[in-house]
Amino acid sequence: MTDNELAFLRDDPEMADLFLAEALDHLGTIEAALLALDERPGDVTLLNDIFRPFHTIKGNAGALGVTSVQEVAHRVENLLDLARSGRRTMGPADVDVVLRAVDVLTSMIRDVGARLSGQPGAELGPVAHALIESVDMLISGEAEAHVQSHATVSTPVAGAVAVEAPVSPVKAAATEPTRSEAAPENAGASRRGGEEITAIKVDTRKLDILVDAVGELIIVQSLIQEDPALANHVDQRLAGNLGHLKRITAGLQRSAMALRMVPIRQAFQKVSRIVRDLSRKADKSVELVLSGEDTELDRKVVEEITDPLMHMVRNSIDHAIEPVDVRKTAGKRPQARLALSAYHQGGHIVIEVADDGKGLDTEKIRARALERGLIAAGASPSVEEINALIFEPGFSTAEKVTEISGRGVGMDVVRRNIDALRGRIEITTEPGKGTTFFIRLPLTLAVLDGLVVGVGRERFVMPTTGVRESLRPTPAQVHNVQGAPRLVQVRDSLLPLVSLGELFGLPHEADPCKATVVVIEDAGSRVGLVVDALLGKQEVVIKSLGETFASVRGLAGGAILGDGRIGLILDAHGIVELERGVNRAAA
Amino acid sequence: MNAETATATATADLAGKYLTFALAEEEYGLPVLRVREIIKMMDITEVPQVPSHVKGVLNLRGKVIPVIDLRLKFAFAKGEVTSRTCIIVVEVALAASRVMMGIIVDHVSEVLNIVADEIEQTPPFGDRVCTDYMKGVAKVKGTVKILLDLDRVLGTDEAALRAA
Repeated sequence: MTDNELAFLRDDPEMADLFLAEALDHLGTIEAALLALDERPGDVTLLNDIFRPFHTIKGNAGALGVTSVQEVAHRVENLLDLARSGRRTMGPADVDVVLRAVDVLTSMIRDVGARLSGQPGAELGPVAHALIESVDMLISGEAEAHVQSHATVSTPVAGAVAVEAPVSPVKAAATEPTRSEAAPENAGASRRGGEEITAIKVDTRKLDILVDAVGELIIVQSLIQEDPALANHVDQRLAGNLGHLKRITAGLQRSAMALRMVPIRQAFQKVSRIVRDLSRKADKSVELVLSGEDTELDRKVVEEITDPLMHMVRNSIDHAIEPVDVRKTAGKRPQARLALSAYHQGGHIVIEVADDGKGLDTEKIRARALERGLIAAGASPSVEEINALIFEPGFSTAEKVTEISGRGVGMDVVRRNIDALRGRIEITTEPGKGTTFFIRLPLTLAVLDGLVVGVGRERFVMPTTGVRESLRPTPAQVHNVQGAPRLVQVRDSLLPLVSLGELFGLPHEADPCKATVVVIEDAGSRVGLVVDALLGKQEVVIKSLGETFASVRGLAGGAILGDGRIGLILDAHGIVELERGVNRAAA
Repeated sequence: MNAETATATATADLAGKYLTFALAEEEYGLPVLRVREIIKMMDITEVPQVPSHVKGVLNLRGKVIPVIDLRLKFAFAKGEVTSRTCIIVVEVALAASRVMMGIIVDHVSEVLNIVADEIEQTPPFGDRVCTDYMKGVAKVKGTVKILLDLDRVLGTDEAALRAA
């Protein structure tokens, strides 16, 4: 890509944004259709669904002078056109190449975006040429040479020379018959599940403003509702109107939240792609079964959950699913089954990742954990506790490190990501039958269920996902270390006590037996947080504290409480870290 | 351009409408265009682990904004909260964004139209006085108003907080 290609886009940033967003959108559509085509080769509707967006990208890129993108799209279009006109069947090799084209185009489009925003561009020329070469080889009937063509990727110059000549004649031929196709595209895109859904594109910033405004409305509504002046006022009409106002604002909040929701399809699609690529690479046969792709989650959650999902699927294919011959010997179906499903359950979204592989080897995990000192020699943890150890940093039972996984980085990152989304992950496993991971996520990141606790005259909100239990300890349960109460015994385990008041320098109740201990958990480590009082459970709207307080640890944001004052939201992870830091400083 | 015209341009740039306020017997001014609103003293939620002049956060109609006590920031004695104490909500440019912040002052005075002739560049005080926060000094009706550089006054909190 050269900078001259971008001259036009630079002059018209709005057009550039539109072009980039549309192109990425189209590439997503293409990828989904390609994965479907892999299962139903020769499906003409799918072929058209792939061809049309390619054509649009080519057209737009051409019109805006981004010739390198136009060129790649054009070559792929040639291949697709052969298939569309029935002169070629899209085999796995073709799908592979077109998928690669999607990747290459995606990076090129991203590169355009990066360059336009003044960042240094990437040199994608060789990759693009190698791709064009593969496409041309397929077209010229050298499909068998495809595998070897990867070897020539590193010699882009040869490819580059061969590219130039045959462009223009084919271009004219390819463009003509497709003109009529471009029009019905929008109609086609909006038809899903047989139901007519019309959609418009809205800048996400506008959405955020709306959601913020509705959040404020809810706060004001509850301020009015709880105003002492009104509480003493008994007036039927006023009470009726206030009730009506409450219902309307609640309805408005639900609709506003729904605007931020997107189907999880996008994340599942990325997983389908990785299953396809990996099962080939690992030489295992895997059938991917998806369900609940239409389950809606907060846009941010869908974005953030994609990586952990991909990681888990990668792990499943590499470690859990056996090679075909092993499966046959074990009397299992040769083709492994990997099921990904999403559904609602009690105010949460559950995502299940289930494989029918060999299951977790609890004995091996126990042995490894003993070796690494994760379990004390005399302890007898439950099977669930042992299995949960796979989420410990650096834990791996894989004998060999493969290209895909086995370095023991991964599952701890998965759990950290899920924790960050205020979700939880659990495992059930049966030796020889398979493993299922359950990821439980909140519906939205904008509101949170919190436990309101008081210290001195300040109130704090502790997200309930981090809370295990709360108790008022008896003097026998509390143990002093160096003259101060530092440990609490909760059933069999001794937990460190952290006084929130002490940590934050607030006046507080010093005797834990007169205060309340909230047991919080972060990444497997539990601490007892000492607070003056439990004030209740409340759903709060999360507000960022902004840049000013970015460096303050132990806080996740602010929430406006029923009386209009701000309660600071605690961050279990930060508090556990702070606690350790305090200990280290004291030692 | 000679030195005199350079000075003239600099003070001309500073001319405009200023909101003036009092802080421990001194008069300060800040560009009125940066002022979003003036509110009476409210309940402020303290935030732990921050310098003492960062009073905490307050709820401005659903927005959470940080509040700075300008007296403590300038190392004056802590002021009593009176009926005239108020919070000026201003817009500040930080490293990555523009944010709203509240500053606590003794009382606000008036909006003044200060012309270039009344403005002088910050005189050299030597190292007895920290002039980093000052854009200039204006003499209006026999009194001196110190014109504040908001982004520097409030922006430096960022650096201080990060370093802490």
